[in-house]
Amino acid sequence: MRLWFRPAACSGTVETALRLTAIALLLRPMGPWYVLPVILCLAALAIVLPTALRTPATWLALAVLVGVRILDDWPLADNHIYLLGYWCLAVALALATTDISAMLEKSSRWLIGLAFALAVLWKAVLSPDYLDGRFFRVTVLTDPRFADVAMLIGGLTRNELEQNRLALQALPEGAELLTPPVVTEPWRLRVLAGIATWGTLIVEICVALTSLVPGGRRTRRLRHASLLAFCFGTYAFAPVAGFGWLLLIMGLAQCEYDQRALRGLYLGAFLLVLVYSEVPWAALLGNWLGLQ
Amino acid sequence: MRRKPSRWPAAVAPLLLVTTAALQILLAQVADLSPWKGGGFGMFASLDHTPFRGIDIVAEAPNRSETLEISPSLEEPAARAATFPSDFRLTQLAKAVVAREKRRGQPVETVKMEVWRQDFDPISLRATERRVRSFSYRIP
Repeated sequence: MRLWFRPAACSGTVETALRLTAIALLLRPMGPWYVLPVILCLAALAIVLPTALRTPATWLALAVLVGVRILDDWPLADNHIYLLGYWCLAVALALATTDISAMLEKSSRWLIGLAFALAVLWKAVLSPDYLDGRFFRVTVLTDPRFADVAMLIGGLTRNELEQNRLALQALPEGAELLTPPVVTEPWRLRVLAGIATWGTLIVEICVALTSLVPGGRRTRRLRHASLLAFCFGTYAFAPVAGFGWLLLIMGLAQCEYDQRALRGLYLGAFLLVLVYSEVPWAALLGNWLGLQ
Repeated sequence: MRRKPSRWPAAVAPLLLVTTAALQILLAQVADLSPWKGGGFGMFASLDHTPFRGIDIVAEAPNRSETLEISPSLEEPAARAATFPSDFRLTQLAKAVVAREKRRGQPVETVKMEVWRQDFDPISLRATERRVRSFSYRIP
């Protein structure tokens, strides 16, 4: 029992990963009233007090609280909330051992590998509308969070975008219009949807394989490269910074002692995802180019 | 001789992830849970999620059969029921509908619900509604 309340001796890399996790918890507050303040207080304490940061009980409590938040909201919680809960649990268990860095390296590698393998399973096997490009064609046209990208890269005007949204509204089962509205899809938009569909799948396969296969130095390099490529590319568009931060934190936890530059790259990527999430870069660029 | 540290703590969280994901895939295949939810990492893989799922609610009583709008008080139970249209979730939603109708002084004996999702044609992207589940709740 005492083990759970004794601060562990962590490496600098592990401390940075834990501190960034606490920051991510503060940046995206979550949960009902009876969970939220406790998570925020624990995350704040973890940042301010090194002993709280390195104590297994802090992370075990966070894992339990994230679990309660998922159950309270079931089934509406996003997948990265589950991953956050697993990560907090992995941290708690690793801090209670003597080989913290190796434990965290293993847990984070498996967590990332399994999450990406499942994402690939859904996209390539279980989903009927991903591989044929429908998912991204419809999402770019209908999700308001992708509107700026649809105009900036896809070449749509705002008017075309609105017409498309109307055209994509469902008819009751069996009903058919005499002259159905046509969806406008410029070739740039089709190319964008194609690149998003296949690019995402290929990078996810790379991350899954390189994470689940132990491999040597080359595999480790590929693992970091594919994970960073995924985060740099995906979170410029995908509005889920919390997921990106978590992946980067788990990638950072896999850095070795002498990989200072790589650790710096992960930290830079964490900040870049923060900037992506707060700056409407596509809208600003569109305005600047006179596309709005 | 120094004992080699046990590796099992590193496997606990990944095992939990696999167990949850297996359950999610099962529920998505047999009970219409949205692929986006439930911890199976099916997000950004399918169009079968909240914006393209919905519920039509009809309140019935003698001399009444009215299609109801999803009011703010019903949004959360409706989102849960649309995401996972189980008997339990749909009953919860029906009870919330009955409570709301009683607050409004409207008679209600049965709540009929239809959960639907949107399908998109692979070529033209034309959207059609497809029924996922029908459910009827009669006030006991």
